[in-house]
Amino acid sequence: MIEVHRLAKRFGPVEALRDISFRTAKGTITAMLGENGAGKTTTLKILLGFLRPDAGSVTIAPGRVGYVPDRPSYFPWLDGWTILDLVRDAAGGRDGGNGRDFRPRVLAVSRDLLFDPGLLRRRPASYSAGNARKFAYLQSLAAGPDLLVVDEPYASLDPPSIKAVRNVLCGLREAGRTVLLSSHMLVEMERIADGFVVIRRGATIAHAGLREWRVMRSARTAPDLETVFLRLAGP
Amino acid sequence: MFDAALFALTWRVTRKRFFGSPPALAAALAFPAFIAWIGLHDSYGTAARIFYFILPHAFLLSAQDAVRTDIESGVLENALFAAGRFRGFLMAKGLVAAAVAGGYALLLCGLFAAWGMALGAFRASDLVRIGLALLAGLYYVALAGILSHFLRGGANVLALLLAQAAVLVALLFSVSARTGLLDYAASGRFPGLGPKLLFGGLGLILPNVVVTGRPTLFAAGVLAGLLAALLIQTWLLRRLELGWRRGS
Repeated sequence: MIEVHRLAKRFGPVEALRDISFRTAKGTITAMLGENGAGKTTTLKILLGFLRPDAGSVTIAPGRVGYVPDRPSYFPWLDGWTILDLVRDAAGGRDGGNGRDFRPRVLAVSRDLLFDPGLLRRRPASYSAGNARKFAYLQSLAAGPDLLVVDEPYASLDPPSIKAVRNVLCGLREAGRTVLLSSHMLVEMERIADGFVVIRRGATIAHAGLREWRVMRSARTAPDLETVFLRLAGP
Repeated sequence: MFDAALFALTWRVTRKRFFGSPPALAAALAFPAFIAWIGLHDSYGTAARIFYFILPHAFLLSAQDAVRTDIESGVLENALFAAGRFRGFLMAKGLVAAAVAGGYALLLCGLFAAWGMALGAFRASDLVRIGLALLAGLYYVALAGILSHFLRGGANVLALLLAQAAVLVALLFSVSARTGLLDYAASGRFPGLGPKLLFGGLGLILPNVVVTGRPTLFAAGVLAGLLAALLIQTWLLRRLELGWRRGS
């Protein structure tokens, strides 16, 4: 679904990425872990085409891509429904099968996310941080993404909303969609991810599936993810 | 390649900004009211000179806030603009600004021409002035678009207005000279390469002069400026990436 090969990116004197490589499979949740400034968001931005790599390549299987940024931002003069209409049109509009069932789908996803659909008459730029985040999920999910990329999936969310988002992400995986997360919340990632990519100082230092590790965990022959991460990312 | 879906998206986003802005609507109404007031209190001819000279500024005002504000606010870091579509959006935004200002300008020109015809004061040469004013307006959109890569908000427009004010003050001082720039402009004759270049330079920041003098020479200069500005803007957009923030 996603194949990243030897990505490198500089911003002037700063070497943001020097060697990022990983691969994710369709219908899985992959967690990208790393310290602050490790290069996670830069990697995501290259994946999404917001930045160009200096070297390396990214291959993404054809399909719709959804993106929930760490700090979503919206045109201040557009209300929620207008933005969603733009999403519907960009995703194929009425001819692309997103017409008649679009609003019911929006309302269903809003329920799943514990997002008040009454807010859609207001401008997302005026939402609280938590609601702006949930609207970013709603915007991405309403288009029916084949791949969802999320930077800090639980940032600004209250506990019930975290649970709701967790269920939504797992629901996507069950529906055969692919999810790539970038997060610091190791316990949460351990709970939902199928694989992880650990990034340190712009390079991939570990890339593994969690299934085998979970077996080892249940046999108490492996430490928890936090311990693994701290060992890998340690000085 | 022209992306019709992206253009439609840009149109819907940008149109709402134009028509939902009370200051923009107030300015759009104030301009024809001002021209009508001059026409009624002085003459159609005076109103026509001022109307055609100021008309390109409608395009300039439509081109504020074009690039930098969108980049810095983070609104382009959205799945709608992924896979490099933000570049197409920003390019299309300039086209939409030109289309909105052009539609407004043509509407005003139509009304103004009808008024002139009713008075028997509209001349065929006024059609050329309309065309030149529109050309100067398009140049403004392209020029302000370049400036907005570096200046946020309406600072691109403000910078141009300040530069124009500075040039006009310089021109006022040059009036005392026997062969100052204003004399050249009024006569439309430029003896020597120096004055020609000076006036060309003036035209680059105040393309409105295109409607005052010899159409062919001015139009060629503004057209060359427009093409150069479009090339520079295309080059800037091709290189554009959506920011990097420390701590990411």
